[in-house]
Amino acid sequence: MNTPLISLQNIYKIYGSGVTEVRALSDVSLTIERGEYCSIMGPSGSGKSTAMNVIGCLDSPTSGKYFLDGENVANLEERELAHIRNRKIGFVFQQFHLLSQLTALENVSLPMVYAGTPPAERQKLAAEALDRVGLGERMNNKPTQLSGGQQQRVAIARAIVNRPLLLLADEPTGALDSQTTQDVMAIFEALNQAGITVVMVTHEAEVARLSHRVIWFRDGEVLNDHLAPEEIGQVTAVG
Amino acid sequence: MDLTESLKMAFKTLTVNKLRSGLTMLGIIIGNASVIAMVGIGEGAQKYITEQLQTLGPNVMFIIPGSRETRELGGLEVPRNLVVADAEAIASQVPSVVGVAPEYSTQSLVIYGNRNANVSVIGTNEDFPRVRSFEVAQGRFIRELDLNSHSQVAVLGSSLAERLFDQNLPLGRRVRVKGVSFEVVGVLKEKGSNLGLNYDDAVIVPITTLASRLVGRRRSPYGIEVTYISVSAKDQESMKTAEFQITNLLRLRHKVRNGDDFFINSQDTLLTIANTITGALTLMLAAIASISLLVGGIGIMNIMLVSVRERTQEIGLRKAIGASQQDILIQFMIEAVILSAAGGVIGTLVGVSGILLISALFPFEAGVSIMAIALAVSVSGGIGLFFGVVPARQAAKLDPIVALRSA
Repeated sequence: MNTPLISLQNIYKIYGSGVTEVRALSDVSLTIERGEYCSIMGPSGSGKSTAMNVIGCLDSPTSGKYFLDGENVANLEERELAHIRNRKIGFVFQQFHLLSQLTALENVSLPMVYAGTPPAERQKLAAEALDRVGLGERMNNKPTQLSGGQQQRVAIARAIVNRPLLLLADEPTGALDSQTTQDVMAIFEALNQAGITVVMVTHEAEVARLSHRVIWFRDGEVLNDHLAPEEIGQVTAVG
Repeated sequence: MDLTESLKMAFKTLTVNKLRSGLTMLGIIIGNASVIAMVGIGEGAQKYITEQLQTLGPNVMFIIPGSRETRELGGLEVPRNLVVADAEAIASQVPSVVGVAPEYSTQSLVIYGNRNANVSVIGTNEDFPRVRSFEVAQGRFIRELDLNSHSQVAVLGSSLAERLFDQNLPLGRRVRVKGVSFEVVGVLKEKGSNLGLNYDDAVIVPITTLASRLVGRRRSPYGIEVTYISVSAKDQESMKTAEFQITNLLRLRHKVRNGDDFFINSQDTLLTIANTITGALTLMLAAIASISLLVGGIGIMNIMLVSVRERTQEIGLRKAIGASQQDILIQFMIEAVILSAAGGVIGTLVGVSGILLISALFPFEAGVSIMAIALAVSVSGGIGLFFGVVPARQAAKLDPIVALRSA
């Protein structure tokens, strides 16, 4: 397919109205091709989180068009957005957001429960995904029995288990130490090599440098959408 | 997501927090158990009273002196205007009647040797056993001859006979009542207490003897007065006719101008009265018990609201990985319904065992009403649905972004 995976066209996201109006996103246009590995950066309040929510179909833009995998999803119903999140997008969060009463395997299976995958197949695919992030041995552990890095790897396995087109990570290394940060980044790299598009919001320059492209937000606008990772320092200085 | 998955998920969540789930269910358990137990007790009481009334005798009616008004006023001066002659007139002139037994009862000490007992002394005639369904265990009952000749004979109730004579044969022995000696000619079969009257603990003598030898001074100018007259109709169908004929006859005999000076209670009217009272009682008990069911439902809503608040992150995550609002709504609804339905089932078991316990401990059998069970279980399930809606909707409407951010 030739269409880009993500194409934001004149996206506005406005909260409130009149004097209290806040433009979280203002005329944002952005294209991310299939197979890219990019970071979204910017100071807090720059709109990067809002952009990520729109890209992740967690939030609808006030106006503009958003083509995901060639389909305009800007004005879809809640139900259809849930379906897209389930099938096309995998989320990784700073806080992992694993369900504490479930084992690693059950946590990874959860997206497939909502997808309607039969139980036997769920078991198999979840085990495969855990193998892929190097946690094949710890499937039956509960999150509290795992380290932070391991928990984030379970979360990554959960994000990729439905074979999404897009892996969306919100500060994925924010709660990790430097060693486990490298492990997680290595997994992202490997997943990207395997063809998954990775988009990651981060404020850590060292992490962003490991991606192949950096998109810089400021005041709800895209300041630079094709920054090479080496140039991050200069922008930060300006920014 | 299909329903079995939702069910599995809900069970998992509820079993994680066993204590809380148990306590939440407790409200419904108590509510349900009390509805079933209360309705059971009410129905048992109704059945008990009905049975009691039926042991009064087949197709029996009671003619009681005094107008309803005077009795309702407290009956300070209940006119003693029903006499043995009235009973005789009914027996000879009302064709739909097969037995007429006048009764006069008084309380007195009965003495045998060095033993005594303070019991009811009842004067009646030879029709008494037939009208009131009594059987003679030993000897014989009072005969017409005894009445005509004012014989000093007595028939003892079963427990009185035991108290006075132990294992000895009472027949042929003499007991003393108010200084008058009576020969014991018979002993009644045990019948048990019946609407407060216990003939097992009574001595029965000819009404003529009672009037002339024991309470003679209180004789009314119209003849030998009676406490009431029991009448047995030919069959169920002739009850109404008999009541009508007796009313007419007594009005004539008593020269009634305005307002009867007697009234007739049939087994039917007594049953109707009793059923009305016990029915109202059952309803009241059920209503009170329903309140606890309602409170239990509110308890479920309360806990579910707390649960939604506690699980905002979980809800946010579920939405992010593809749960629709409907999925979340169903998940929380199912949790509420499982809590209330399980509470309903457990409550039913508790209620039914309570009923069995009551039946074992008390003289009447409390009924396990299938209707009450069906009602209580479906109502508690419905309560789960009803009180689950608000928290579930709250959960479903949560914005995933906000939910994920809440720490």
